[in-house]
Amino acid sequence: MRSIVKKVAEEIERGNIGSNHECPYHPAHFTGQNCSFCYCPFYPCQDPDLGENIKSKHGGDIWSCSDCLFIHRNEVVEFIYRKIAELGLQAGDPRFQSEVLPEAKRRFWKRGRAVMVVGATSDAGKSVTVAALGRILHRKGYLVAPFKSQNMSLNSKVTVRGGEIAMIQVLQAQAMGLTVADLHMNPILIKPKGNTESQVMVEGKPFGDYDAVTYYSDFVENHGEAIVRRNIVWLKNRYDYVVMEGAGSPAEINIYDKDIANMRAARIADASCILVVNAEWGGAYAYACGTVDLLPPEDRKRVKGIIINNVRGDPSKMRSGADELERLTGIPVIGIIPHIEANLPSEDSEALRSKTRVGEGIIKIVVPRFPRLANFTDLDPMYGEDTTVVFAETPEEIRAADVIVLAGTKNSVKDLQWLKSNGMFEAIREMRGKVPIVGICGGYQMMGKVLHDPKGIEGGVPGDHECLGFFDNETSWEEYDKRVIRDHAVMIEGGGQVEGYEIHMGMSDVREKPLFRIVNVGREKETEGSVREDEMLFGTYLHGCFDKPAFRRYVLSFAKCGGKEVEFKPVEDYDEIVDRNLDILADGFQENLDMDAFMRIMEGKE
Amino acid sequence: MRSILFLGTASGAGKTTLDAVFCRYLVRKGIRAVPFKASNLSLNSFVTIDGKEIGMGQALQSWACGVEPSAHMNPVLLKPADGHRLQVILRGEPLLDVGPDRDYDRKMVMERACESYDILAEENDFVVCEGSGSPAELNLLSTDMANVGMMRARRVPSVLVADIERGGVFAAIYGTWKLIPDDVRPLLKGFLINRFRGDASLLDSGIEKIEELTGMKCIGVVPYENLRLPEEDSLSSSGGKIGKGDIRSGFIDNLDRMLEEAEAASVDFSMIEDMAEH
Repeated sequence: MRSIVKKVAEEIERGNIGSNHECPYHPAHFTGQNCSFCYCPFYPCQDPDLGENIKSKHGGDIWSCSDCLFIHRNEVVEFIYRKIAELGLQAGDPRFQSEVLPEAKRRFWKRGRAVMVVGATSDAGKSVTVAALGRILHRKGYLVAPFKSQNMSLNSKVTVRGGEIAMIQVLQAQAMGLTVADLHMNPILIKPKGNTESQVMVEGKPFGDYDAVTYYSDFVENHGEAIVRRNIVWLKNRYDYVVMEGAGSPAEINIYDKDIANMRAARIADASCILVVNAEWGGAYAYACGTVDLLPPEDRKRVKGIIINNVRGDPSKMRSGADELERLTGIPVIGIIPHIEANLPSEDSEALRSKTRVGEGIIKIVVPRFPRLANFTDLDPMYGEDTTVVFAETPEEIRAADVIVLAGTKNSVKDLQWLKSNGMFEAIREMRGKVPIVGICGGYQMMGKVLHDPKGIEGGVPGDHECLGFFDNETSWEEYDKRVIRDHAVMIEGGGQVEGYEIHMGMSDVREKPLFRIVNVGREKETEGSVREDEMLFGTYLHGCFDKPAFRRYVLSFAKCGGKEVEFKPVEDYDEIVDRNLDILADGFQENLDMDAFMRIMEGKE
Repeated sequence: MRSILFLGTASGAGKTTLDAVFCRYLVRKGIRAVPFKASNLSLNSFVTIDGKEIGMGQALQSWACGVEPSAHMNPVLLKPADGHRLQVILRGEPLLDVGPDRDYDRKMVMERACESYDILAEENDFVVCEGSGSPAELNLLSTDMANVGMMRARRVPSVLVADIERGGVFAAIYGTWKLIPDDVRPLLKGFLINRFRGDASLLDSGIEKIEELTGMKCIGVVPYENLRLPEEDSLSSSGGKIGKGDIRSGFIDNLDRMLEEAEAASVDFSMIEDMAEH
């Protein structure tokens, strides 16, 4: 406590510094945050709206408010400095807690409002609409958070606190100017295991395995509502707006009562809803009208606006029909949005299903299309290079590669067996030493000697599985456990920065020269990955390892491409590219949205 | 005389294929059936024996019916040209190019299309018509030919095909029914749910609700089928299910298999036959 008082005294001394761009941790929470009180003068405030008691290592209670955003709002900081001057406060003065905080809270704290984007179908454009609306609100200076109660996806990312959430909510958080995605933003993550069962993650941690029937009858019935409620409340306590995303259509009347992702979540959050319908396939008016009409009256009242999305051709031609739709449904069409070319990470396997290749560049990167391919967004940064990324299913494709990437999988044992069954396993072995081969996560495990699965945790039946044998590593599944962690690292060769996250169940005994050195505070002695540079073999557990240019360019530098000239554009972090595209997306929405109507919905005035 | 119009809740809902499957159903019962689509917006065209250009879909359906394609089966074909221009083909012959500065005489063209329909109806037992896109495009209703146009002009009874793959199928069916103009809504007799995977009994409560709300009858739930039409197949070298040898016979074999699978899944095509009486 004494050290905190001393730190607070230093902070007060420095005055209102606003955003501290000099700090290596800036912005720790959100773009534009006020960093003056990195150490809080109210600590420990014990206000349940702002923090919570957690257990310390020694068993005692400790006040944790590291997710508090209130103290980083400009108006709050300015108010505190006024009070410091007015009352002549020093650090540790009890009046911070007894007078200043209650008044600051009365003036500046209010529970946020939720709005929910529901779609007439899957692929209606809900995710991008949430991202676009979120960025528009962020540009207006609001603190905004994304939320999706339940997501089915194999593309997940790891939050700062080590929880696993869907990649798309992380992207939406970035759109809203947040530095850190939070596990509350996607409390239920369903990861299909490739059979009829799925692994259900709750608040970032494995909760249990369910099939479609038990998921609804047991999980949703007994846990669903409470999970959604506590996470929504958590977010509303911290943000001005929570922009929620529904799942599929909200009007599936055959399962209406079981659906926890749409109108039931809207009711729990007391959210107004905006319906998005994709115009690309035609029938947009009918889909919109039918969706609204099939909702029970009390839920229908929540729908305050309709967005017609992804219009090819002249959007103004749809206005007359939109007017008629407004008349029939009584709900305003607040936007007719043209098709927007934005280069954003691929959301789910649906998008990949129809694709066999991406790009037309010189370097041919061949990625075996594992049936349980996971976190294939790892490849997204490669699309911006002079590459053709081929999702391969035959050994011939492997033999034509300039670079081979063995990507992540939801099940290493089963996808290893798949590689063996179609001849690609042998083809990859033949390519050893001829082209660079990168394994990420499951693919990295396969580059070792063997997968030990004595209890059948991964493969279903107990057994050992011979791997490619490129590294002397062995991977084991001894118990049902999962490693989920974010890593900041540097390449041991050359020192280039790498950032990523590990999500895996098997643990590897690594006996190779490491690829990366971890630089996270407190873990500086750790290393990660394996490398045999002379054989161009690289393996890592780090998803996102290609996002920063260093490792991506390093791997590509080994590609020979039959002597053809490769064009390297100026390097750019993938994050920056994504950010620029989020702006393109938000601009497209902002220009075609009735902003007054939208803000009235946000403010609850509709 | 009997005829039916297959409408879709969106493009790609499966009208063309289910229309062709129904053609097979009729032909296998010995009924003389022919396809018809008043107007088609497509670049995929087929040239008939007498040198007339029609949409590929009607040529395929015509083979399914076991007859040679004719210009009457698709009297209006709109072929997108460069930029904002369209070439209008009337009964297989180029009529004119239209663009922002020049339109065509829709009334005259629609009259010709209806005459073609009448000729087919006169010469055959059953005309199996196909709509275009969604019939509920509120901004296009006044110029529609293949959907509401034919319903108005010849009072053709209609069934709605809805694709469940993307979800929202009940909303799509109900919304389309609701947005169809009052004067032709009574012609909507039934609906088909297409491309379903899983246990169809899960849909029962939803189907009942839609039947109750609209008065339309559910003809059945068609199982998911990765059927590729030859026109699509010509664009790729593999992956299609079209058999070796004659592309037409392969296509027809696929339709027959799909018909059998649909019937095994309790799709009742005889309901469409009954609905077609008028």
